[in-house]
Amino acid sequence: MPDIDVFDAIASPVRRAILDLLQDGARPVHDVAASFAMTRPAVSQHLRVLRQAGLVAEERVGRERHYRLDARPLRTVMNWAGHYERFWQHHARLLGELLEEGE
Amino acid sequence: MAAIEVDQFVPRPAEQVWRALTDPDLLARWLMPNDFKPVVGHLFTFRTEPVPQHGFDGIVHCQVLAMEPPRLLRLGWRGGTLDTTVTWRLVPEGTGTRFLITHDGFDETDPAQQAAMNILGGGWRGDLVGRLLAVLGSGAGLRGTADRDRCRE
Repeated sequence: MPDIDVFDAIASPVRRAILDLLQDGARPVHDVAASFAMTRPAVSQHLRVLRQAGLVAEERVGRERHYRLDARPLRTVMNWAGHYERFWQHHARLLGELLEEGE
Repeated sequence: MAAIEVDQFVPRPAEQVWRALTDPDLLARWLMPNDFKPVVGHLFTFRTEPVPQHGFDGIVHCQVLAMEPPRLLRLGWRGGTLDTTVTWRLVPEGTGTRFLITHDGFDETDPAQQAAMNILGGGWRGDLVGRLLAVLGSGAGLRGTADRDRCRE
């Protein structure tokens, strides 16, 4: 189970940017650090949080560690966002049905 | 800040739809039981099933913030962790009416609300959501790119 809440993990703009970057494929930490004006330890710290939230997986490639995006935990976020939209879609349909009945 | 936007075409004139938005009995039939009154400033509640995992006790505390019959009704909408605004607009279209719902004012300091609004508002580069759906292999109930593009920042 993830140790860190996915919502907390993606509350940080830097971590969202890292996830965006990893959409293009797995990358080693120095590659991620080079894409941002950040030190490698700072990037490692963010990657650790993302890993604990289950959003990033670590894999060994030769002597390097690569970080890969795992979008699955984002489903929780999508469900949250979708909840209110589905609520209004459902009730808007009910309104249409009610008036079409010709009450 | 993003908003949730939904629209529904209703094949009835705006005046008739307006009545369904402002008559407590009709409102209860398509939305929730309530003690609404069509008076700006009126405080009222909608009652529904509690959702304990969202910290929601089943009561939506509302206030009529603005009313322009038969085209706009804006409500303060508080419940659970939400302190938001819901706007209903009616736009005549042919012989019917387009019912536009905007739910906004989500709390940017709440991680869940902020994250969700980021996704809805297209705050992610590229189509992360589309990729997510591809990974999950199911788009059921989740919004697609076209829908997301309609959301405003």
